[in-house]
Amino acid sequence: MTNRSEGNRVSTAVQNAKVTADRGTQPDVVGSVPAASFSGVLLNRSRFRLGPLDLELPAGYVTAIVGPNGCGKSSTFRLLLDQARPDAGEITMLGEAVGKGTDDTELKRRIGYVPEEDDKLDGRLRGTAKADFVRQWYPGWDRNEFERMLRQFEVDPSLRLGKMSKGMRRKYELALAMAHGPELLLLDEPSSGLDPLAWRTMVDELHRYMDGGSRTIVMATHIIDEVKRLADYIAIMDSGRIIGMYEKDELLGSWHTFYLSSPEGASPGDVASAAAAMPGIVRVEEAGGGTCRVVTSRAWEAEQWCRQQGYLISGQKALELDDILDDLIRQKR
Amino acid sequence: MRLPIHINEHSAEPLYHQIESQLRSLIMSGQLEENTLLPSNRELAQNLQCSLITIRRVYQDLEAEGLLRTKQGTGTFVAKVDVEAGARQRLEAVEAAVSAAVDAGASAGLGRAELESMLREELKRRKMT
Repeated sequence: MTNRSEGNRVSTAVQNAKVTADRGTQPDVVGSVPAASFSGVLLNRSRFRLGPLDLELPAGYVTAIVGPNGCGKSSTFRLLLDQARPDAGEITMLGEAVGKGTDDTELKRRIGYVPEEDDKLDGRLRGTAKADFVRQWYPGWDRNEFERMLRQFEVDPSLRLGKMSKGMRRKYELALAMAHGPELLLLDEPSSGLDPLAWRTMVDELHRYMDGGSRTIVMATHIIDEVKRLADYIAIMDSGRIIGMYEKDELLGSWHTFYLSSPEGASPGDVASAAAAMPGIVRVEEAGGGTCRVVTSRAWEAEQWCRQQGYLISGQKALELDDILDDLIRQKR
Repeated sequence: MRLPIHINEHSAEPLYHQIESQLRSLIMSGQLEENTLLPSNRELAQNLQCSLITIRRVYQDLEAEGLLRTKQGTGTFVAKVDVEAGARQRLEAVEAAVSAAVDAGASAGLGRAELESMLREELKRRKMT
């Protein structure tokens, strides 16, 4: 965002919303090192191509990466962790270059990672045994915090990992990834398998984690409520590319459906063709009963426009995130 | 502390603007007294289920207006508010609301007489003289 300090905040916000809705924006990270960055990153596989990927994940915030299955979310995590090497481009994490073949033990101590799939190989290990193994690599391991989280999550660590339910295993892995108080937490669909109660506990624990100082979460997710409750920024990914980075509140607040009544002497068709000039117009259709249904990506401006033009808004509703995603992805394909 | 701020999710008014104007009137009206410690950015963001970015913007704007002050490491407090400016601000808010009502009436095709009678009816209903 630019011009944050300018005089007229209302119009600045509207402009920002416009920029966001139309092209996507990079967050205001001037003067601070991003938690992670991709520049010109390409990954070519026989059946999959990721990139060119240019993305900065802001430090101190929660960024949700959302997009259809197979869009490249998990590959993005693997690139960050140096589990896959890019064919081109530069990657940094917490200010350090990734994938240069140097010892990255120190760097990895500063992050926590929960992969999409839980490891199948350690099913015979008990939870306590795996924790004893993992903590040797983390000088900052906080035993009390780990045990507190297991209690919150109602996980019994004396069970063998393979005997835990999918949900319990997930909660165990979350506690394991957070017990050393990492600066950066990478979560690949963290809540898969969690029941609604456990999900709420997870959201609370992630909020608590963010309260702990200058910390960053990057999470891939399909759960709309998770994005709503946790994210500050939303990065939308499709077919191996980032199609936009948005402030969550701005994105969710600026897409609305309006129902417009025809003024005296005008037909719904007249209103529909006039609505083509509405700010942020996405689509318009006749909705019966003399009304038109209009979707805009700049709701506040559109509302003022309707008032000026003398169109009566008989109903309006904010779009849900999945509908917004659908429209944005369709626009950019 | 929970601030009595209510978000209308179906309004097109941007979230930061809704929060900012409600917090401003809580301060201007004296409901939040001078030196009251406000919730931290994260806390308020969680209470209102909005993003940290939005709360930062609200606090920054109100600080620039002189309604809030931030002490490094301690938090955000309500600043000393000019009472006359508060009264002026309340009057402006009423004028804006009346103007919005006239706009709404105009787009619904109502004339002067109808609007005047609606206002009279509303005053009568609330037994205001």
